[in-house]
Amino acid sequence: MIKEHELDKLIICKKCHTLYEKVPLTKNEKAFCNECNVLLYQQDADMLNKSLALVITAGISLFIAFNFSIININIQGLEQSLTLTSLFMVLAEHEQYVVGLLFLFIIVIFPISILLSTFVLLFFMKIGKAPYLTKRLLILLAHLKPWNMVDIFFISLLVSMVKLFDIANIELGIAFVAFLFMLILDIIITKNLSFHELWLLHAQTYGYKDE
Amino acid sequence: MNNEHLIRCHICETVNYDNALTSECRRCHTKIRASLRCSYNKTLAFLITAIILYIPANLYPILITKQFGMNSESTILGGIIHLWELGSYPIALIILVASVVVPLLKFLLITYLLITSKHQTHSSSLDKHKLLYITESIGPWSMVDVFVVVILSVLIHFSGIQIYPGTAATAFALMVFFTMLSALSFDTRLIVNHNKKSNYKKGKALHAS
Ligand SMILES: [Zn+2]
Ligand SMILES: [Zn+2]
Repeated sequence: MIKEHELDKLIICKKCHTLYEKVPLTKNEKAFCNECNVLLYQQDADMLNKSLALVITAGISLFIAFNFSIININIQGLEQSLTLTSLFMVLAEHEQYVVGLLFLFIIVIFPISILLSTFVLLFFMKIGKAPYLTKRLLILLAHLKPWNMVDIFFISLLVSMVKLFDIANIELGIAFVAFLFMLILDIIITKNLSFHELWLLHAQTYGYKDE
Repeated sequence: MNNEHLIRCHICETVNYDNALTSECRRCHTKIRASLRCSYNKTLAFLITAIILYIPANLYPILITKQFGMNSESTILGGIIHLWELGSYPIALIILVASVVVPLLKFLLITYLLITSKHQTHSSSLDKHKLLYITESIGPWSMVDVFVVVILSVLIHFSGIQIYPGTAATAFALMVFFTMLSALSFDTRLIVNHNKKSNYKKGKALHAS
């Protein structure tokens, strides 16, 4: 039997499940999988601070994205705008309850939960308090990750605009820029924030037996 | 070191022993050794549900245009053909990939992984792990068409002309939901289990800065 800290020196690639023995990295170095080039782990001493700043910015973008109009169109004097409220009102009017519920979760509840959980998690890990809460949040975030669809929603906005291009004048709203900004921040946060490191840091900060 | 008895926790990425002593991950205490049979059955059940939902998703209209009292309906395939005829090739291709290619590919990949978990095959576990990873990552992209239909129905909402989502939108959205559940229920040990000898290749992590 190998001891726990020996097992912590190993890592399994999330894509191809090849087992690796970790090598120590110096500052800002990254280790990739030999088989599929997926990032295995990285060394970034400033990860918590950087990610915290990014998450706060993403939170502001999300607030703007939810409260202003995304797209405004004008067809021969008739105007219509896409906002979060108009979206759910129209879906309710057409009695599309299942689609509406799915939208509510994918576009509203999941992004808010992900950002809020990440913020609380990083904040408490930074000050080294609340071991149980941070652990629950780490597990929650792992479950939420596959349902993050900001990128797909943005592509859908672009596709819709191309479809309307011939028949309407399209004007981009502030929320459209906010969505784009959120998408970019989301990509940077995903690149920066390694959950493998967070779990290791959690074990180091609070010890193994925290319950 | 006995490499074949190590598994990865899908929640916290920690390396664990795959033994009968404990059923929980040593770090996050998630159940990672629930019965393989249960995982197999769940994956299969979600997959069948998704395939059944894919039928109404294609037969019923996904988009209904109501213009001065006249209704015109279009299905997913009808919409793609219409876009192609209009010359919007890039959009037609995006919808074709998201609504037809990705769901069918997911059905095939999950079916393949389920079948090969029960029978001995020549395919390597390395490739199968990659296939599962791809299946999980392409899943949400099928939502594009549903999103587009909803966005259009909000914007084209006038007294004279209205666009609204048809029955297929609900069926399709649920189909995507269930295929994602199906892929997520698939336990990686279903790949690992039957060819234990050549399971893991061990090596030093590749360096790059
Ligand atoms: Zn790999
Ligand atoms: Zn775990």
